Amino acid sequence: MLVVLAVPLLALVLSTSPGDLLDGLRHPLALSALRLSLLTTTTSFALTVLLGTPLAWWMARHPGPAERVAATLVQLPIVVPPAVSGLALLLAFGRRGLLGPLLEGAGWTLPFTTAAVVLAELFVSAPFYIQSAAAAFRRLDEDLLWAARSLGASPMRRFFRVVLPLSRPGVVTGAALSWARALGEFGATLMFAGNLQGRTQTLPLAIYSAMETDLRPAKALSIVLVAVALAVLGVLGRGTVLEAVRARA
Amino acid sequence: MLELDLEVARDGFTLEVALSLAKGPTALVGPNGAGKSTLLRAILGALPVRRGRIVLDEQTLLDTERGTSVPTEERRVAWVPQEYALFPHLTVVENVAFGVPGLAGRARADALIGQLGLDPLRSRLPDALSGGERQKVALARALATEPRVLLLDEPLAALDADTRETTRAFLAETLHRLAIPSLVVTHEMRDVVALGGPVVLLEAGRVRSTGALDLFRASPPSDFARSLVTRIVGGH
Repeated sequence: MLVVLAVPLLALVLSTSPGDLLDGLRHPLALSALRLSLLTTTTSFALTVLLGTPLAWWMARHPGPAERVAATLVQLPIVVPPAVSGLALLLAFGRRGLLGPLLEGAGWTLPFTTAAVVLAELFVSAPFYIQSAAAAFRRLDEDLLWAARSLGASPMRRFFRVVLPLSRPGVVTGAALSWARALGEFGATLMFAGNLQGRTQTLPLAIYSAMETDLRPAKALSIVLVAVALAVLGVLGRGTVLEAVRARA
Repeated sequence: MLELDLEVARDGFTLEVALSLAKGPTALVGPNGAGKSTLLRAILGALPVRRGRIVLDEQTLLDTERGTSVPTEERRVAWVPQEYALFPHLTVVENVAFGVPGLAGRARADALIGQLGLDPLRSRLPDALSGGERQKVALARALATEPRVLLLDEPLAALDADTRETTRAFLAETLHRLAIPSLVVTHEMRDVVALGGPVVLLEAGRVRSTGALDLFRASPPSDFARSLVTRIVGGH
């Protein structure tokens, strides 16, 4: 099994000389994809934390039928194939989609724009953060929160002084997994945002495109992504990733 | 003066309590499941009250009929639960100062830490404290906010026998010195005697009796009370 896991990555590294790597990274395709991925994943990550944290908190604190519906909705994008997510996004926000006329009326066209990339990334990656954060919030000792309230702490003070520090491992794990998932997003982006260089062509799409012409940028970008993945694992520590996976199971 | 008239329904259990608590400590005794902790949580505002009123020195904290409910964070009701609920990621001094942000609060926390003999422990995390030390930190944290009511849920139960002896005297003295009503849940007659104040006996969600300690001792109002009075060490 380990051979199966290791050989492809090894092949990627061994087949790329340092010269290839530098040439590949200097390729215009690579540079614009790097820039776009950085921009879109930063935006989708900010939205994930901003919108996902209140949802995770609500899910953790209000168990019941509504929370179970929300939990299912949050889980679905994790298990649904990315191509299905892409089609669903198109049917929802496309020009002739469910909300298309509404968006068009407001002067917005989403599909095949950078905003669509962000939306696709948000759709597929936010669930990783929300689930992990909600699990961490659920583990909090309720008495600590009541003690904080009895001491006069405002909701903000309780959240930033008690909830967040005590949930940090779960929240950080979720954030890292979510960002990594957004960075690697391919299928939904391709279907909903297309593959337009400089506009919607993120790193994985650039790798796919480069394969058809020049393998060097594809290999260079792949190595960048593997390095980023290793860095994410380094941030989390191996144990936390396994714990996160177990917590979700 | 704290006046309570409360009805709380929870998982098939109903608590119906009407009480007046004067300044100084009041012992709250009763069998397990009588509703002692539930009563404390209801006063704190941590449980929905079906019907009733809580009035503290003429300020209405809760009145279900008029739809008034002061949120927990504005009640100034301090609560020390059984396991103390110290913030595990904060040091002793940070725990004590939690409810009183700012420089003045820090000074107040420092003064309390000094008074309770916690100075050498100020930079420690709760995990590195003994049971007795934790209890003192929890008490200091509660007192730092200058509460108007103090609720203590079995404050001595988590302590070993020796620590319990010394902490008991300290606690009773502290509660007498404070000019606020305090309600202390306990399973031990020794605690009740040390507190020296009135005794409220709660059984099956109702106040079975309330009155002076001497009267409680002279004529225990129920089988449970009798066993509590005759036991040196209360059981569970």
